[in-house]
Amino acid sequence: MTTQRSAPVYLNLLRIRFPVGAVTSIAHRISGVLLFLSLPFLIYLLELSLRGPDSFKQVLAIVQNGWFVAGFTLIIWSLLHHLLSGIRFLLIDIEQGVALQQARRSAWLVNILAPVLTLACSWWIL
Amino acid sequence: MSRPTHGLRDWLLQRLTAIYLALFLGYLLLHFLIQPQHSFQEWHDWMTHPAMIIATALFILAVLVHGWVGMRDVVLDYVQSVRLRITILSLIALTLIGCGIWALRLLVQVSG
Repeated sequence: MTTQRSAPVYLNLLRIRFPVGAVTSIAHRISGVLLFLSLPFLIYLLELSLRGPDSFKQVLAIVQNGWFVAGFTLIIWSLLHHLLSGIRFLLIDIEQGVALQQARRSAWLVNILAPVLTLACSWWIL
Repeated sequence: MSRPTHGLRDWLLQRLTAIYLALFLGYLLLHFLIQPQHSFQEWHDWMTHPAMIIATALFILAVLVHGWVGMRDVVLDYVQSVRLRITILSLIALTLIGCGIWALRLLVQVSG
């Protein structure tokens, strides 16, 4: 049997244009990995917050620390994007919004809503 | 070594845990929107309520399952070398088990 490649191999990432759904999908993966990586840190904050009134205040200070805002904002975005795109995938699983136009619209909605809500959350926490 | 694959079981587990995680997170967000907690006592009393302890323990278990299936899928998609795969998957499993024991122990400590 001869192996013949019929699919074109073209992996110049700068020239591949991703459909909006692909962006939602890869961001779901990236945010998932970020959430996994932040687990120890989040458990540490939970532990500190429950230890006593003083360490509870310490947690508030950590979360509101200027240097820390960028990292924490990234975690909030990961959570929100993963949650929203996850809900979208579950709806598509039960055949809601599968049609191309609807799927593209919901992908845009998720991609835009996640950073907007992240900013709102960060604003609210700080 | 041949091992049966459990694609459908994992697919289902990922979705069932996702639903619980989403519901619990939705409850958290709603709770903080309605009554933001500014004092240690409020936060501590809420978190150590028996129902909340049980719901949080379930949340932790769901995170472990969901995290494992998700991270494994990502590794299997992007890491081709078998040796590297085994190394990374082992590290992920150890991290998840460690985090799980840590978080569940914390819950037991604050509840008792």
